[in-house]
Formats: sequence, structure tokens, C-alpha cells
Amino acid sequence: MSEQETVYKIIGKATPRIDGPAKVTGKMQYTSDIMLPGMLYGMVLRSPHAHAEIISIDTAEAEALGAVCLTYADINPIVYNERSVSIPAATYRDRTVLPAKARHFGEPIAAVAAASEELAYQALQLLKVEYKVLPAVFTPQEAMADGAPQLYEQIWLGEEKVAVKNNIGVIRNIEEGDVEAGFAAADRIFEHTFELGRVYHDQLETKGAVCAPEADGSLTVWCTAQSIHANRQLLGRVLGLPLSKINVKKLPLGGAFGSSIQVNTVTPICACLALKAGRPVKLISSREEDFYSHQKYPSVFEVKLGVAGEGRFTAAQVKCLVDFGAHQVQPLPYMGCVAGWFASLYRYGPLRFLGTAVYTNKVPCCAMQGYGNPQINFAIESMVDIICEEMGWDSVEFRLKNHRGVGDEFWGQGPTIRSIIKSCGVPESLTKGGEIFAWKERRPHTEKSGRYRKGIGVARGFHTSGTGGPKEGEVIDYSSCMVKINEDGSVDLISALMDHGGGTWDAMAKIVSQTLQVPMRMIGLSPTDTRNTGYDVCTHATRGVYCGGAAVLYVTNKVKEKLLEYAGRILFEHPAALEIICDEELGQGVIFAKNYHQKSITIGEVAKIAQINSWGTIAYTDSYRQRNCPPCFTTHFLEVEVDTLTGEITVPKALLYGDCGTVINPVLIDGQLIGSFNRGLGYTVYESLDVDQKTGELTNKGLLVDYKTPTAAEMPAAENVLVHWTDTYEPSGPFGAKGIGEAALASVQAALANAVYNAIGIRFAKLPITPEVVLAALRAIDN
Amino acid sequence: MSGTFEINLRINGQEAVLPTTAEKSLLRFLREHNYWDVKCGCEEGDCGSCAVLLDGRAVKSCITLAAACNGREIWTNRGLGRTDELTKKLQAAFVESGAIQCGFCTCGMIIAAKHYLEQGGKADRSQIKEAISGNLCRCTGYVKIVDAVYGVALEMGTGGI
Repeated sequence: MSEQETVYKIIGKATPRIDGPAKVTGKMQYTSDIMLPGMLYGMVLRSPHAHAEIISIDTAEAEALGAVCLTYADINPIVYNERSVSIPAATYRDRTVLPAKARHFGEPIAAVAAASEELAYQALQLLKVEYKVLPAVFTPQEAMADGAPQLYEQIWLGEEKVAVKNNIGVIRNIEEGDVEAGFAAADRIFEHTFELGRVYHDQLETKGAVCAPEADGSLTVWCTAQSIHANRQLLGRVLGLPLSKINVKKLPLGGAFGSSIQVNTVTPICACLALKAGRPVKLISSREEDFYSHQKYPSVFEVKLGVAGEGRFTAAQVKCLVDFGAHQVQPLPYMGCVAGWFASLYRYGPLRFLGTAVYTNKVPCCAMQGYGNPQINFAIESMVDIICEEMGWDSVEFRLKNHRGVGDEFWGQGPTIRSIIKSCGVPESLTKGGEIFAWKERRPHTEKSGRYRKGIGVARGFHTSGTGGPKEGEVIDYSSCMVKINEDGSVDLISALMDHGGGTWDAMAKIVSQTLQVPMRMIGLSPTDTRNTGYDVCTHATRGVYCGGAAVLYVTNKVKEKLLEYAGRILFEHPAALEIICDEELGQGVIFAKNYHQKSITIGEVAKIAQINSWGTIAYTDSYRQRNCPPCFTTHFLEVEVDTLTGEITVPKALLYGDCGTVINPVLIDGQLIGSFNRGLGYTVYESLDVDQKTGELTNKGLLVDYKTPTAAEMPAAENVLVHWTDTYEPSGPFGAKGIGEAALASVQAALANAVYNAIGIRFAKLPITPEVVLAALRAIDN
Repeated sequence: MSGTFEINLRINGQEAVLPTTAEKSLLRFLREHNYWDVKCGCEEGDCGSCAVLLDGRAVKSCITLAAACNGREIWTNRGLGRTDELTKKLQAAFVESGAIQCGFCTCGMIIAAKHYLEQGGKADRSQIKEAISGNLCRCTGYVKIVDAVYGVALEMGTGGI
């Protein structure tokens, strides 16, 4: 065996994920699985009105039943925003733990805790609430009309009081270059409006918390969270406790897709109940409650693009209107991000973004895989198809010519966080993808007839990898971790970074394994908590591997320095003359003198000797910030089949082309791309949330049976789901890696809509494209 | 609250006499007694996260009454994984194939897959897709799950199990 072949390389290898066995055997505990002695069960009373003042809540009968009750009168009425990823000065605050006024149907009004779920339910029925029902608004147009009912008179931006007029929560306008001159220089100007409604995360684990008061006056919290530190900090403010008295445990998440980027509404409620009761309380949302908790930002985009005859843009403008519901979970950064995703797609020349986000009496919207990226991508990538169709250009060629790539600026999290693109798989994915999908042989819709019509569509997208830039902007971004070599050569990895299921923890362990040459089975991921970890902003913005992984690599390299220094003392060698090579059979990393392998010692022996000699533990802890936000790119080539009799759209074949830089674990990259395609299919052809325009109640009443998501049966045959990734290396990433998670969804919707156009010649600018919508459009043509 | 009474049943191979009430679902009953690998995803019979084997048939425990299980036999994925060879194969295949992301649907999926294979299901991807279409997974897009079941079905077909 050559020396090259003996080198242990785990980055890039398809390996079973580190948490797989615990999950597959059912041993993994999630928030709802936590059971504590003497625990009470919490339940939430929710508003039956979309907009109503709460005159009084009578808890006497519920308390007589033995329940602990929580109302507005019990809570500390500090005003906060559930999401704390942005800096305080860029964060609007408008809510309290429980409200004095109900602002949407299903809003939590009061809560109870009792010895059993049955008793809690009975107590809930005994709460007597007197409401003064107010008129409500359900569309931005209604909300902005003069004389419309107002949800708020004033809110806070950082520490500043802000008056709310016409229910407008945020206005965000961004302009670069001389836009009017750009449009004046255009040979053609294209204008279209696109509309994406509300959809729901439908993460399989509903939001919940278990909170336990401890003997030392502290509170231990288990909750669905994308950041345990964000939960701790908000609970500290709400409960008036020092952060050292609040300990949030790190748990696996049963999916998130953004649904826990903020502190979940039920978590502070549960914490207040537990402190009032003086006993542990478990509060897990039902699926119906979860539907009323948070939803995806809907958006209407009026897009105006100028093009010159030689096949390039001259100017671009997007007007964006967002109905974000009854509370701000940060439409301000949402619109900044939408502007950034828009700006970063193509070299338009001058550009303008005009964003307005409006309060309505609906469920608050929060992040959902892409934070506006799939929304604006649908609009722009549909527009590119429209333009190329009209101008007679090949849309793949057009994309290749105009996309932002290496050397161009990328806005990773709105206008304040930008970096220069250093790696880009767009040319490879469009060119090779086109070859695989026989793009050049695509026939126009005019040549298609019969009941079943097939079409091919393409779209390209991206997402950021994290929110770090050369300069700090509106968004906080760093991770912390500790790496510790134990006296048997095993390694503890202690980090607050959360894993929604995408495999972030697996990537972190692989980075340690590769760097210290220790087999994966010897690496332990600490089931840690906020007390034992440094701050980690959140697992969001596709930052897990790129930012969290980079922090792990940084800290592990420091540990490696210390390890080699101690090994050098023992072996009488300079640390630079040493190397570590994994001995998988031995289960150890072994340190050798370079070019003299007879001289060696295992990592475990070094750690043991360091302990016996009282040199200390070989460990290091620190925080680390990435100073770039490289885009991870995706291209989707999709084939659809439209049944013109039923209006049903199916996907016989899909090519998912990803650029994540170095692949850490191919199995997990496949999983991200395929899973995102599945969800994108749902958002494009099935999913929408509507409210009753009189009551504000969801028309599906929060029932999953009336909110259809794609099942296995709706997926293309496995052999027709082609997954490829580009050969790219991101110089700023750990081992050359970028993210992939949110990028994987970005261009699915546009590629599907473009394929539908190629099948039947109808352009759908509003999602979802349900069978009813397809049939109505076909009939309109016939007539 | 209605009265509490005891039911006799076998759970994961062990005889049990446990209290329940008339309205309690099998899902809540099992979770209360620490069988928390049976997950609650929707409690309305839609997502399949709560699937268990009831007398050898896959059922959604959230729409099965605990009281109706008196005298019957229940297996959860966790119990099966300790003793049943087919389940062990499926569990290993799920890990190997990348069929797991968040893991919340996984126990229910394994039950659906075991049921399919025990009912004579073949190594046919299209039939496997149908067989697991009563179980929702929001993470994976199902392809790797189908791959995992397909692999085990192939092995069974060739006398591997």
C-alpha cells in the first residue's frame, strides 16, 4: 500500500451519520419526550377572534380545579421580538409573553398547567374571557387603507419608540446606480407581477418546551430551538433572572426549516407557568396550534427588467409587498435579504428595491428555508424565461452570460453583509446539466398536443453560507466550541450549534476526525447546554457547516498545536517534525516523527502522560467568526407532465445540481437536495394557507389532513431523481466547504413553473399551481 | 373525567397490565408509559409518525383507542429493534442509505416498511412508494427511504434474511 492510500480521509466520504443509530432505533429524545417527576402539563387558550381587546379573564373555576393559570396580569410585560439574530438596533419589538389584545385568530391569550393533560384541558374550558371584538384586516390593501383598524399605535425599533401608521410595519428601499438611466437605455422593458401565498413549515415535531425550576433558583429548559443561547437570553429578560440561572439544553430537532429561528411563542409561556407553579411544566403544541404559531412570509413582487438587444440587462426594479401578520418576527431583515437575493442573481447594472411590509390580523410569519430566496427566485427566474422566450434567446446561454459569479459581489444577508464570490459552480451546473437533460433538444410548447403534455424547465438559484462579511452588519454571526482530547485518545466536542436534521453535527464531528486523525467512533458530541458552551447565534442561513464547521476547525487546530507540542516533549522532536495518522484498527490517532515512523505515540498516550505529569488537559475553547458569506449555488432541470384533463402536474424526471464546495458527506448533500425538491414541489403545486375573510380562522382549521404535502407517491421514480454536484472549492470554507441547505430549494419553484410553460404554453405567476388553477387557465385559452 | 381501568396487553414482548381511560388514544397511552419512540406528529391520522404494529398490522396509534387493545399485542420500532431480524436490517439500511434526517418520522417509517415486507412486499420501488405514502417525511424527499427498503427487500428476495 502506498503512503497516499494509508492517509485517513473522512471528509468527502459517504459515511453513516453520527446520530443515525440513536434516531433509527427510537432512542433519541426530543423535547416532547422529556418526562420529569412531578411534572405538570401546560395548555394554551387561544383567541377565537382575529382582533379583540381582552377585557377580563376569570381563572377562578380553573384554579378551583387545581390548575395553575397564567394571564397577561401574571407576566412581565416587556416588549420583545422573538428573533434575536439581528443586532438590537435593527430589530423591531412589538410583543409580550401574553398579549393585552388579541391580534390574530389562534393567538395565545392565557395558559394553564395541571397534573394531567385531561385536567389541563378541562381547566382551559373553565377560563372565562371577556373580549371586545374589533374589526380586523386580512390583506395588506385593507390594512393600509385610511381609517383601517390599527393593530398597533406604536412599537419599538431597538430602544426607539416608533409610531405605526396605516399598519405599515417596515419600509425598506434600496437603490444602487442610476436606475432611470438604465431603463432609458433598454431596448425592451418587461414588467410582470408574481405572487406567493402563505405556506407552513410542517416540521414533524411541533413546537414545545419543558421547563423545570431547580433547587438553586434556576430554571432548566428543554425546547425546540435553532439557538439555545437565543432562548436563554430572552427567558432571562422575560423572567428577570440572571442568565446564569437559566440553562437551556441542547436537543435534536424534529425538523425546523426556520420554524424555530425565533424563540417559540410557547417557550416563555411554559417558563412562566413553571415558575408560577414551582414545578416542572411540559407544554407541547398540537399540530393545529403549530399551524397558528408561525407561517412562511408571503410576497407579491412587481418586477421590472430592462434588457438590451445583445442579451444583457440594463436595469432592474422590484417592488415587494409583504403581509407578515400580527407580530414582527423580522420583516425588516426579510426584505433586506430579499433585496440581496434579487441583487445577487444577475449583473443587472443599476437596481432598485422598494419593500413594504404590513401588519395584518393573521398568524405571524417567520423564516422558512431561504428567507425570501425561493420567493424572489420564482419571480426573477420566471422573468428570465419570459424574456428569453420573447427575445428568442436560449435561457441557459442567457443565464451563463449574466449570472453573478467569481469576482462579483454577493449580498449574503441584505445590503449590509456582502462579500466577493470566490467559488462558483454555475457554469458547470448549467452546461453539464443542459447536456444531461438534453436541453438543446427541448421542443416548444406549440409542438405539443394531446392529453398529457411534457415540458422541460430550468432555473438557477443560490443561498448564502452564513451571514459573515468582511464588515459586521445587521446580523450577528459567530460560533463557539470546545474540543478536548481525553486520556484514552477519544475526543469531546462541545458546541451549542444545533442540528435540525440536515447533519450539521455529523459534519462537525468529521471535521474533528479529519483534523486530529481520530476515528469517528471515538468522537463524542456533548449533549450540552447554555451553561457549558459559548454563544452560537443560530443554525440558520445555511451557516452550520461553513460557519459552525469553521469554528470547529479553528478550535481543533489549536488543540492540535497543543497536542503536538506535548508529543514533541515526549518524543524529543520539534512539533513541526511530527504528523498524525489515523490507525483505524487501533481506534487512535497516532503521532509519528515525519520520515522516521519508528518513533511514534498515540494521542491517548500523549493525553495520559500530560495528565500524569500535570501538564494539563489538551483542550481549547474559543469563538470564531467567518468573514465571508459565499453563495452555494443550485441549478434545477425539471421535466413535468401536465394532464390537461385533470390539471394535475407530475414530475417524471428531476436533475438537482448543487455547488456546496467540498462535499463533507455525499449522502447528506443528496438528502438536502432531494428533500428540498420535495418541499419545493409541495409549495409549487399543492400548498397554500388561506383564512376565512370574516373570522380570520385558517380554512383548514389547522388540520394537517387539509394541508397536503407531497408523499413518497408524488416523487419521481428514484432512478429519475438525478443528483449532481459541481467540482468547486471554497477557499474560505472548512476544507473548502460551503453550505447547501437553503440553496437546494431556491430554484425549484421557478424550474417547475418554467417547465409547465414549456408543456402547455401557460405562464403561471401565482403559486400554488393547483389542478383547479391549471384547468381554469386551459379553459380560458379554449374560450 | 371518565373512570380509569386496566387493560392487559403485550408491549414489545412483555405482558403488561396498565391503567387507561375510555377516551385515551393508544398513542398517548404508550407515550405516558415511556414508549416515546412512538412520536406524535399530528394526532389526526395523517402523518404516520405514531405507527406501531398491532397484532402484526401497522396502525396509526393516534387514531386507535388504547382500550380497544385489551388482550392484543403491540410492537414499537424500539422494541422490534432489540429482537426482530428484519427490523434490525431495516434500521441498518436506513442509516446506511441516508434515509434519516431529523429522525422524527423514522420509527413510523420503519413500522410501515416492516409491515410492507412482512405482507410479502417485493423489491419494487413503485410499490414501496405506495406502501410508505401514509407516512409523512418533510426532510428527506423519500428517495433514500425507498432505497433503504428496496435494498432490504432485494436481500429478502434472494434469501438473505
